[in-house]
Amino acid sequence: MWRSVFYKEWLKIRWFILLYALVGFVVIVYIYLKLKHSFMFLGAKNVWGAILFQSIVYFKVFRFIPLIGGTIIAFTQYLPEVLNKRIKLSFHLPLNENKILLLMQAFGALSLFISFLVFLILFGIIGLYFLPEQIVLDSLITIFPWILAGFSSYFIVSFVVLEPMWIYRFFYFLNGAFFISIHFASIITASYRPIILSLTLMSILLSSALLFSGYRFRKGESWYGKN
Amino acid sequence: MDNVIECHNLTHYYGNKLVFENLNFRIKEGSILGLLGKNGTGKTTVFNILNGFLHPTKGQCFIWGEDSQYLSDMSKLRIGFLIEGHIQYAFMNIQQIERFYRGFYPRWKSASFWELISKLDISPRQRISTMSCGQRSQVALGLILAQDPDLLILDDFSMGLDPGYRRLFVDYLREYAKSENKTIFTTSHIIQDMERLIDDVLIIGSNNVLVQSTLNEFLDNFNRFDFELEESKTELKKDAILVNIERVKNKVELYTFSSENEIYKYLADKNVSVKNFKRVSMALEDAFIGLTGKY
Repeated sequence: MWRSVFYKEWLKIRWFILLYALVGFVVIVYIYLKLKHSFMFLGAKNVWGAILFQSIVYFKVFRFIPLIGGTIIAFTQYLPEVLNKRIKLSFHLPLNENKILLLMQAFGALSLFISFLVFLILFGIIGLYFLPEQIVLDSLITIFPWILAGFSSYFIVSFVVLEPMWIYRFFYFLNGAFFISIHFASIITASYRPIILSLTLMSILLSSALLFSGYRFRKGESWYGKN
Repeated sequence: MDNVIECHNLTHYYGNKLVFENLNFRIKEGSILGLLGKNGTGKTTVFNILNGFLHPTKGQCFIWGEDSQYLSDMSKLRIGFLIEGHIQYAFMNIQQIERFYRGFYPRWKSASFWELISKLDISPRQRISTMSCGQRSQVALGLILAQDPDLLILDDFSMGLDPGYRRLFVDYLREYAKSENKTIFTTSHIIQDMERLIDDVLIIGSNNVLVQSTLNEFLDNFNRFDFELEESKTELKKDAILVNIERVKNKVELYTFSSENEIYKYLADKNVSVKNFKRVSMALEDAFIGLTGKY
C-alpha cells in the first residue's frame, strides 16, 4: 500500500521536483562560474583572502533555494488534497489516516533530501576544484541551516495548507515564518555551527505537525461550518 | 438479518445552527436505503459522520458494529464511498488512477473497471481534469465497483450523468446489489432514480426525521387528495393529520397519512365543504414534494 501512496505523491510532484533540481543545478553552476570570473579578474589569492578573512559568502545566491524547494513541494503535494477536500479520498483508503499522512510526508521529505544531497555533493565536488578543503567544509556548514530551512518550510507549509480554518492557517504561518527567519538571521560563514543540532531537532519535531491538521480535518473543523 | 449501519441519537450543530436532532436509523445487510431531504437538511453531514470526516455533536454511528469515527482498515476495505460531485484525483489519468487504487484492494476487479471505461469515448491516458462531468462521474463509479465493496455509500451518485446512463447505472447497481448481497446507502437529487433503486426510504426535514419505512409502505400510506373548496374563505391549516396543504385559490392539494374516509370525516367535523374530491396517485418525487413542501 505504501507503494501506491508513494506513486500518487510522485505523480503530483514529479515535474516540479525535476524542474527544481534543474534550477538548483543551474544556480550551483552559476556560483562557480562567478567565482571563476572573480579569480580571473581579482586573482585567486585575493578571493581566498576575502572568503577567509572578510567572511565573504560567495554562494549567497543559494540561500533561499532550499526554502523555495520545501515550499513548492509542500504546495504541490497538499494543494490538490485540500481543493474540493480530496483528502477525504486518502482518509477513506484502508490504511490508518495518520499512517497515510506520514507516508505522504515521508515521500516529500525524501524527495527534498535527495535533491538537497545532490546539490551538496555537486557544490562540494565543484568547490574542491577551486577552493581548499577547509573553505568548502565551512561553506557546507554555512549552507546546512538553509537546508534545514528547506525541510522546516516543507513541514510548516504542509501543516498550514492542510489546516481547515483560515484563521489558524494565518496564525501558523506567522509562527512558521518567524521560526524560518531564525535560519537566515546571520550570513557569517559557519556561524550556525553551535545550534545546528537544535535546529535539526526542531525540524524533526515539525514533521509531526501535519498529523494535527489531519486530525482537525477529520474532526470536522471548518471556518464555514459545513465540512 | 444483521444491521450494517446503525445510527443512534445523531445530533449535529454547525455553530449554533441545528442541522438535525436525535436522528436514528439502521440499514440491514443487503438492503438499499435512500436518504432524501431538501438542500441543507444535512444529508452530506450524515455521510461525513459515517465516513469519520466529522464528529457529531451528539450520538454515534456504527458500521458493522464499529464506531464510524474509528473504523478499522478492514472495515474501510469493505466500504466504497462516492464523494458528492464525483471528486477524484484530477491530476491522474485513467490508467494511473486504476493503478493507484488497485494497490489497496485485494478484491480489485480490473476487468469490470476497464469494461466500463471502454464504453466511454476516452483514452486511458486522458487526465481526469480534462474530462466532462459525466465522464468523471463514470470513472468514479467504475472505481467503486472495481473495489467490490460490501457497503456502498453514494453521495448524489446521479450528479452529471445523462438520462440514459443514469438509467443503465441504476438498473445495473440494483441488479449487482441484489445478486451479490451488497448494502447501499445513497442519496440523489433525482428522485426518479431513487424510486427505481431503493428498498427503504429515510426522509429528513429541517432538524428531524419525517419518514423512515420501506418505499412501498411509504407510497401506500402517504396520500394526496385534490379537491375544491366550496367557500373561498375556508381556511385549512397543517396539523397532525394534514401533513401539507398546497392551495391555489379554491383548489387544494392535501397530503396526509390518513385514509380517504378519515379525511372525509375530518373535513366534515371541521365543517369544510368540498367538491371534486379525488385521490391522486403519486410517484416518489410527488410524495417527497408533498411531504416536504415546494419551498
